[in-house]
Order: sequence, then C-alpha cells, then structure tokens
Amino acid sequence: MIKFEDVTKIYPPSTVGLERVSLHIEKGEFVFLVGPSGSGKSTFIRLLIREIEQDRGRIIVGGRDLDTLRSWKIPYLRRNIGCVFQDFKLLTNKTAFENVMYALVVTGNATGASKKKAAEILALVGLGHKSDSYPNELSGGEQQRVSIARAFVNHPPLLIADEPTGNLDPDTSMGIMQLLYRINKTGTTVLMATHDREMVDRMRRRVIALDNGKVVRDQKRGGYGED
Amino acid sequence: MGRISFFLKEAFGSLRRNYFMTIAALVTVFLSIVVLGGVLVFVFTTDALLKEVEEKVEITVYLKTDPDPTAEEVAIMQDQITSWPEVKSSSYITKEQALQRLKEDYADSPEIFESLTSNPLPASFEIALVDPQTVDIVAARFEGDSIVDEVRYGKEIADKLFAFTDQARNFMLIFIVLLGIVAILLISNTIRLSIFARKREVEIMKLVGATNWFIRWPFLIEGITVGFLGALVATAVVLGLNHYLVGTVSDNLAFLAMPLDAVPYVLVTVILLAVGVVIGAAGSAIGLRRFLKV
Ligand SMILES: Nc1ncnc2c1ncn2[C@@H]1O[C@H](COP(=O)(O)OP(=O)(O)OP(=O)(O)O)[C@@H](O)[C@H]1O
Ligand SMILES: [Mg+2]
Repeated sequence: MIKFEDVTKIYPPSTVGLERVSLHIEKGEFVFLVGPSGSGKSTFIRLLIREIEQDRGRIIVGGRDLDTLRSWKIPYLRRNIGCVFQDFKLLTNKTAFENVMYALVVTGNATGASKKKAAEILALVGLGHKSDSYPNELSGGEQQRVSIARAFVNHPPLLIADEPTGNLDPDTSMGIMQLLYRINKTGTTVLMATHDREMVDRMRRRVIALDNGKVVRDQKRGGYGED
Repeated sequence: MGRISFFLKEAFGSLRRNYFMTIAALVTVFLSIVVLGGVLVFVFTTDALLKEVEEKVEITVYLKTDPDPTAEEVAIMQDQITSWPEVKSSSYITKEQALQRLKEDYADSPEIFESLTSNPLPASFEIALVDPQTVDIVAARFEGDSIVDEVRYGKEIADKLFAFTDQARNFMLIFIVLLGIVAILLISNTIRLSIFARKREVEIMKLVGATNWFIRWPFLIEGITVGFLGALVATAVVLGLNHYLVGTVSDNLAFLAMPLDAVPYVLVTVILLAVGVVIGAAGSAIGLRRFLKV
C-alpha cells in the first residue's frame, strides 16, 4: 500500500523533516506513527498526499510512484486517501452534512444516492442529529468525527490521521479510536500519527517511531515507548 | 447538471456570505465601467459632431462679374468639376439665386435692397467633397482660371479642425487602453483580496481531492456575476445620463441642429457588459492562480 525507499526531506534552508526513511506498509494494516514533537510525523503524512515533495528517494502509494505523478493527477490520488487532520480542516461555511458531501461532490457524485450515503456515514460517527450544524456550533470531538466521516465517505483504500485525538479528552479520544478501528476492519489501511501514549499501548498495533526524521523503531505489536 | 447547479449554489452562496467583498468588487467594476462608458459616449458624440463639422467644409468658387462668364464657360467648368473623383456634389448658384438668398437672409429689412439697380453678386460653384481633407488639392485647381475670381474654403479653420480631430482620436484611444488596464488591475486586486480571505478554504478543497477546475468554477461564476451586475448598473447610469443630458442640451441649443445623440445604445451596452464580464472572469482567474499551487 505504502512504500518509502530512502526518503529524505529537507525544509529550506536546512531543517531535517525526514532522513533516509525506508518502510513498507501492507494493505489492511493499522499503523501508529509516534515520536516527539518535530520528529517528522506530519512531514511523513504531507509527503504521502503530495502536499510537499521529497528531496531524495522514492514514495510509492497504491502502486503509483509519486515522483512520476502528473500534477493534474494529484486530486485523484487524494480521493483515494482519506485524510484526518489535527485541526479538522472543515469548511467553516458548510454544515456537517455539506462538508461530508463535498468529498463526494468533488468526485462527481452529487446524486441522491450519495446524499443518502453522506447522511448514513454521519449517523455512523454518531452525528446524525447534528448534520445541519456548522463547525463552529460543534465541539472539538464532534468536528473531528465530521472530518473522519468526510475522510471515509468515499471508502478510500487508505486513511491517514494526523493526531486526530490531539485536542480531545480521553473518553472522546477513545471514541475516535474505536471509529478508526472499525474503519480498519472494513479493510481500509489506517495510518495514525499520535502522541497518545495510553492509546498506543492499549491497541498493541504496529508502531513506527520517528526521531529527528529517522525511523528509530518499527515493531509489529508495539507500545508507545520501548518495551 | 448536478455539477453545474452545485457550482451555481457555491458561487451565489459565497457572494452572499462575503457580501462586503462582493460590494467592494461591485463598486470597483461599477466605477471602472462608468468611466469607460463615459469615455465611449464622449468618443461617439464628439466623433459624430466632428464628422458633421467636417462635412460642412465646402469650397465656394466665386466667378468673375465684369464681365460675367458665358453660359458655355460655366457649363465647361461644371463638367470639369463633376468629373473629379474627390467631389461628392456640386451646385451652380446663379447671380439671381445668390441675390435671392441674400434677400431671404435679410427678410426683416427689405429696404436695403431698394437702391439696387443691378445685381452686384457673383455667380458661384458650391462644392462638397468626399474626403474633406482633400480641400487643398481641389481648391488649387481653380487658381489662375480665367473666369474664377476667388476660391474660399476657410483654409485655416479646416486645417485646425483636422489637426484637432486627429489628435483627439489618438488621445481617446490611448486613454481607453490605459483605463482598461487600470480597471483589470483594480478588479483582480479586489478579487485577490477576497480569495486571500478564503485561502484556507481553497487549501482544504485541494486536500479533499478537488481538481483545480472544480475549485475555479465557482470563483469564475462569482467574478462573472459581479462583473455583469456592476457593468449593468454602470451602463444604465451612463446611458441614462447621456439620454438626459442630450435632452437638456438640445432643448436649450435647438439652433445647433446637430445630431447630439449619436451614441449607438445597443452597441455600447454590449461592449460595456462584455468588458465587465471579461474583467470579472479575468480578475477571478488571475486572483486565484497563486492559491491553486498546493
Ligand atoms: N513548512 C516547514 N518549513 C520549515 N520547517 C518545517 C516545516 N514544517 C515542518 N518543519 C520542521 O520539520 C521538522 C519536522 O516537523 P513535523 O511537522 O513533521 O513534526 P511532527 O512530528 O509532526 O511534530 P508534532 O508532533 O509537533 O506535530 C521540525 O523540525 C519542523 O520544525
Ligand atoms: Mg505534526
């Protein structure tokens, strides 16, 4: 699903984002990306959705080499990667329902069936009754669930979450976690960057630890820290 | 179909939401088109007036009176004149017709003609030209002719007028081009501001997988709508004002007997609306360009 081969990203003039990272994530895996602040987790994710480009190395997503991907094809890549951000990135002038719909409409799916789908997915994340609320009328946890609904509504083969629980209390975080877990059960590969030690320790999934841009640990059923 | 209605909904929704920017852009378009429209109206009106004046540039050839030319000599000259390609029309004014005209001009005081024993006025040719600029050449041909007494065509007035009209036309053209550039800059700047305020929105759209055109269309529709509406109001104001002013002026200056309302309303409306739409669309496209590179 995801393959990094000796990938290096330097932010000008000389800040290391990632340094010589090589790793392989299989289809259907659930992977935690951990590491201290500034270790390169967001850089990893931004490279995956081609928000930025690497300086060296090769990145292959879903069989496609991102280096040879024409820029007009980037939107099509992103439609196959559901993305959940720490700051939600919801469109503030659209309701919860319209935000979810937007991900469908950009793919050319604005039919009645897709409306039903958007409503269903909102119900699935527990926000059926708030679908007409605007983001500023929702709590942080609710906004994050809207953004997960938007990321998942197209049933992408890959779902990436950059600290989706970063701003949320433990209970709400647990709810979000469960949601991602369920999504993973449908066969979607899930990659989640997080600082949430307790969560990682509890889930016992693959853990990739970054430090200073380098992979320092890659464990099949790991915890947040060294075992 | 679903897509088009989505774009329209997006565009009008955002026009309503960002009403302050919408109004700013509308005012910018309005002002630009009012000035452009004013210039257009001015150009059309002065052009028509100048053409009218140019057409009044006539050559009058006075024939000798002592002795008067024979009918045969007059006929020869008449044939000559009509054979010249520069001549649009010419007429021969006999001594009697000249006197008759003079009497009509002074109908209020017929007593000044009482003492006349013979007709002192010369016969003449009045010549209108196809191109008024050829007046010098045509007039020169009468020089030294044995039956011609004098050729008059208000040489200096004609020359000055031509110099002025040429200059005025060039000046107007330059002015219109400059104005167009300024208007596009102003509007793309206004729209850029409004897009800048929505930079985050555009970023999010891109991250969710929207293509550039998918993002661009609502913005283009917004720009076109603003351009069209601003231009529509501006056109109504300019043409309405022109109509009103022409009415007032021709009431007060009825003796001018010139076609004051020379503005082709439909053409000017089409031009101004088209310019408004193009400016709006270009402004959107230029303003958006920078933000689509995520
Ligand atoms: N746009 C940028 N320009 C310059 N340097 C950057 C930029 N983005 C990130 N960096 C630097 O790259 C390094 C890695 O940053 P990154 O955002 O990937 O860390 P992170 O692991 O996501 O941290 P956090 O846990 O705080 O989100 C940091 O040193 C950061 O300062
Ligand atoms: Mg980060």
